[in-house]
Amino acid sequence: MILGRLLQIAIVLGLLSFASYALIGLIPGDPIDLAIAGDPRLGPEDAARMRALHGLDRPLAARYGTWAMGVLQGEFGYSRLFAVPAASVLWPALGSTLVLLGCALGIAAAGGIALGVLAASRPRSGPWVDAVAVLGQAMPSFWLGILLIILFAVTLGWLPAGGSADEGLGLRFLVLPVATLAVANIAAYARHTAAAMRVALAEPWVRTARAKGASGPRVLWRHVFPNAAVPVLTIAALDAGSLVSGAVVTETVFARPGMGKLIYDSIMGNDYNLALLALLLVALVTMLATLAADLAQRALDPRLSA
Amino acid sequence: MVRLRRLIIALLALLAGPALAQPAARDTLTIGITQFPATFHPNIESMAAKSYVLGFTRRPLTAWDADWRLVCLTCETLPTLENGLAVRETAANGRPGIRVTYRVREGARWGDGVPVSADDLRFAWEAGRDELTGFGPAEFYRSAYELIVVDARTVTLRFDKLTYDFASMGDFQPLPAHLERARWEAAPATYRTRTAYDTEPSNPGLWNGPYRVTAVQPGAGITLERNAQWSGPAPAFRRIQIRTIESTAAMEAQLLAGQIDMIAGELGLPLDQVAALERRAGARFRYEYRPGLVYEHLDLNHDNPALADRRVRQALLIALDRAQIVARLFEGRQPVAHTSVNPLDPMSDRNVRQWHYDPARAGALLDEAGWRRGPDGVRRNPAGERLAIDLMTTAGNRSREQVQQVMQAQWRAAGIEARIRNEPPRVLFAETMSRRRFQGAVLFAWISEPEGVPRTTLHSDEIPRAERNWSGQNYGGYRNPELDALLEALPEELDRDERAQMFRRLQAIYAEDLPALPLWFRSDAHVWPTWLAGVRPTGHLNPSSLWAEGWRVQ
Amino acid sequence: MRFRLGLTLLGLLVAGAIAAPLLGQDSGAPDLFNRYAAPSAEHWLGTDDLGRDLLTRLLEGARVSLAVGVATALAASILGTAVGVVAAWRGGVVDALLMRLADGLLALPALPLLVVLAAVDPSVVGLPRGEAASDMIRIVGILTLFGWVGVARLTRAAALSVLARDHVRAARALGVTEARLLWRHVLPALTVPVSVATALAVAGAILAESTLSFLGLGIAPPNPSWGNMLANAQELVFSAPMAAVWPGLAILMAVAGCTLVADGARGR
Repeated sequence: MILGRLLQIAIVLGLLSFASYALIGLIPGDPIDLAIAGDPRLGPEDAARMRALHGLDRPLAARYGTWAMGVLQGEFGYSRLFAVPAASVLWPALGSTLVLLGCALGIAAAGGIALGVLAASRPRSGPWVDAVAVLGQAMPSFWLGILLIILFAVTLGWLPAGGSADEGLGLRFLVLPVATLAVANIAAYARHTAAAMRVALAEPWVRTARAKGASGPRVLWRHVFPNAAVPVLTIAALDAGSLVSGAVVTETVFARPGMGKLIYDSIMGNDYNLALLALLLVALVTMLATLAADLAQRALDPRLSA
Repeated sequence: MVRLRRLIIALLALLAGPALAQPAARDTLTIGITQFPATFHPNIESMAAKSYVLGFTRRPLTAWDADWRLVCLTCETLPTLENGLAVRETAANGRPGIRVTYRVREGARWGDGVPVSADDLRFAWEAGRDELTGFGPAEFYRSAYELIVVDARTVTLRFDKLTYDFASMGDFQPLPAHLERARWEAAPATYRTRTAYDTEPSNPGLWNGPYRVTAVQPGAGITLERNAQWSGPAPAFRRIQIRTIESTAAMEAQLLAGQIDMIAGELGLPLDQVAALERRAGARFRYEYRPGLVYEHLDLNHDNPALADRRVRQALLIALDRAQIVARLFEGRQPVAHTSVNPLDPMSDRNVRQWHYDPARAGALLDEAGWRRGPDGVRRNPAGERLAIDLMTTAGNRSREQVQQVMQAQWRAAGIEARIRNEPPRVLFAETMSRRRFQGAVLFAWISEPEGVPRTTLHSDEIPRAERNWSGQNYGGYRNPELDALLEALPEELDRDERAQMFRRLQAIYAEDLPALPLWFRSDAHVWPTWLAGVRPTGHLNPSSLWAEGWRVQ
Repeated sequence: MRFRLGLTLLGLLVAGAIAAPLLGQDSGAPDLFNRYAAPSAEHWLGTDDLGRDLLTRLLEGARVSLAVGVATALAASILGTAVGVVAAWRGGVVDALLMRLADGLLALPALPLLVVLAAVDPSVVGLPRGEAASDMIRIVGILTLFGWVGVARLTRAAALSVLARDHVRAARALGVTEARLLWRHVLPALTVPVSVATALAVAGAILAESTLSFLGLGIAPPNPSWGNMLANAQELVFSAPMAAVWPGLAILMAVAGCTLVADGARGR
């Protein structure tokens, strides 16, 4: 099963790499044209010379071939935007994004599950949790980011409006982006947990357990919750992609260096090597996360492994 | 619930704590800029962010100062014909040429203690002359056909052409041969990617300015510290932290939150945003608006029959109320342009023809040119074609997009339809402009040097076409034989008064014929902390950081 | 209850969008003497950075955003329904291929890819650059590429359950033509799941459009869309914070409205 999935991931990556290479090639404005437009002293000879130097005079397919061979051999190429090997920009950015995602996911899962359990176990709070969940999901994350900046950075001045720490984790810089990213996901988790819990609570054995004298919270957490965890994990698996998408927006709003911002900047800045690598890496991480969630789900729910 | 709220407040206060604490002694300065340098190599790619950072850490031979005079930075004396350091001669190709001699300033050293020497200049010249190296503009190196090392600190350069600005060395500057020559010689074609400037930027030997780069966080920031080997006046700050913040709102927020001390006007906030900031937080910072050599204008496609008519161009200009736009959108802080020559430039002619807002006259000119109002208010020519042009600019530049919409409304009142079509800068410049695929007018800016001759934007040889690899910046396709002759003669005229005469003629032609529609000169808006003194914005390509040793705490 | 609340929210927005011209404000004409005006009787929400009436801009933005949302959702529903029904009907290899494709798309981070797609030169596919209509077609096309997946999965599941029912299996065994079977039995059973999926797709498309426009890759100014109004407002957050609040609220209303309608429809 795992082997099959890994193979599938490899195929998707291969297709994706070619598709994005071609697409990025379709983005108008090659770097040399841009340099010429920016610097009046570049003459016609300079243009031809630089185009040959960057290999831009060759057809797209040939360039893709060279690039793909290089990547397979561990040659990731050179970032035009930062003038360093692309890989050396990539890893710190990936780290920063994973920290952001990890925190946001942790908070969202904890908060969402708590809300969901609350909604399911205290019927009176149900509609409120639902309302909060609908609002959270409908809230555009960049708007929430702006509102948080207005409130906490501009009006109150408590937290930085963006950027990242020069050294260390930079907890203060994490708070607002994590909050922004977590809100939408809290809502999703809350909704799905509540739904799953309601189903599980209706099961006959819950009544049996209660009848046997098990206390309310104990039934809830020991018996009902593990059953409800499966659908929640499913959501986690399906949502890995949207979580990463959320990170792109959040990083842009908060000017926080990371994969999302890197992808956006490198596409906008015509940095082929970096854009491609970043895209592929993000896709890979997303697909692996999906796989991991699937595996966890199977481990929890024996019915699925059949 | 109350407990929870208390806990949250306590947590937030804890997190916020460090921001409120001010450092006791001001020995660091944190500067916000909007762009991250693509490279730190002084000769590869030219971009404002790199110039700004290198201003702190490297000193070129010559530069234009804040008074728009050419001065020596690493050299001892500026060569002139009078002081004998520049000598006219016949070049190897038989044309009039010149030889100029530069002597590196006494005590100039790289950050690792190695003296800046003639060999560093020789290396820079050799690398630049080799086509494979991939230095940007090669025109300088083609023209500088010989470099003679006179002694350990002195070189003489011979040029195969004679221009009035022979003393300006532009981007040509010493490169640390003791670190870079071996890398370059190993393989010139891949030197761009192996230069120590990008592979080990914190190597002190790369820097000969008052500061040196000690750490780089790609895309986010650069840390500079005092260069112990600097022999000039000691700079005031132990450390300068440069932060890249692309979003202008985030930049302003970080300034207000005290995360950055100042915003460099060279790469800072739009003028109206700073003006609004000044109204709200006037006393917390100092503000300076420095008009510069950034010429905002409308390039017109002269192949469009409507725009080829001079009367239409004049009507387009006077149908715009530029004074009003500047007053309302830019707080009146940007001088309205009458030609491409900045009023602060010594070569500017104050008596040049000026076009003022005059809708009635615009209507008369258009009537005369055969464009009469149609039933929908838009003018038509006798053939029934509507006077409709595309109005383009760089998408995402809010200030230009604002201006554009005001222009559209003012033109509509004059019976001219403007269709707004914007493209991201890299598409607009790299495709639409340079391939000349625009139909009407494009709003953008040129940046020039003081006394610069606008040859690349006005000479008919500079119209981009396929045979010339689409180089040249006369995007509009303007042709004027008299102007061509002037543009050719101007650089070769050494006599300043003669040149001023020729510049007057150039401006007269420009103002009458309007190859492009002049709008205004952009001002850089600088925001400094009240305790910082000595920053002198220049308003041109040489950034204020080139004089950072004069920045002080007061 | 939810269904009604959702419909009310959406109805308000649609009515506003239709009624925008009735406010009698010219949203296109800048008024340089009236920038950043506070709310007044004339300008209910005040004016923007060029002195234009904010409410009018907001409602015109509603036209663009809602049009993009609905068009995308319709396109995605048609494509998704077709894919879902075909996969369920044919089964076997076709089903496996289509569903692997859907899984693959679902596992990919959509936004980075949307950014690439949105940056591609529209003239490559024959659309003029920089014009309002082509902007909208482009965005709808791009969003549809990712939008159909959700619909397809829902449809397939629903179609499979219909096809497994006894009377359908009997009809199939009796030799009822495929077209008739699909038309009489399968499609009617799909109306609820497909409309739920469509409503959710509208919500998703509005959010995605506003995100792309916010990043400067969607609807370009001067055409107002909630996303680009927010992008503009973000730069002016200090001068005019409220300008950043209204478009966001509008998006919130639209998306919440669609979600509520979908929830309500599902519950019925």
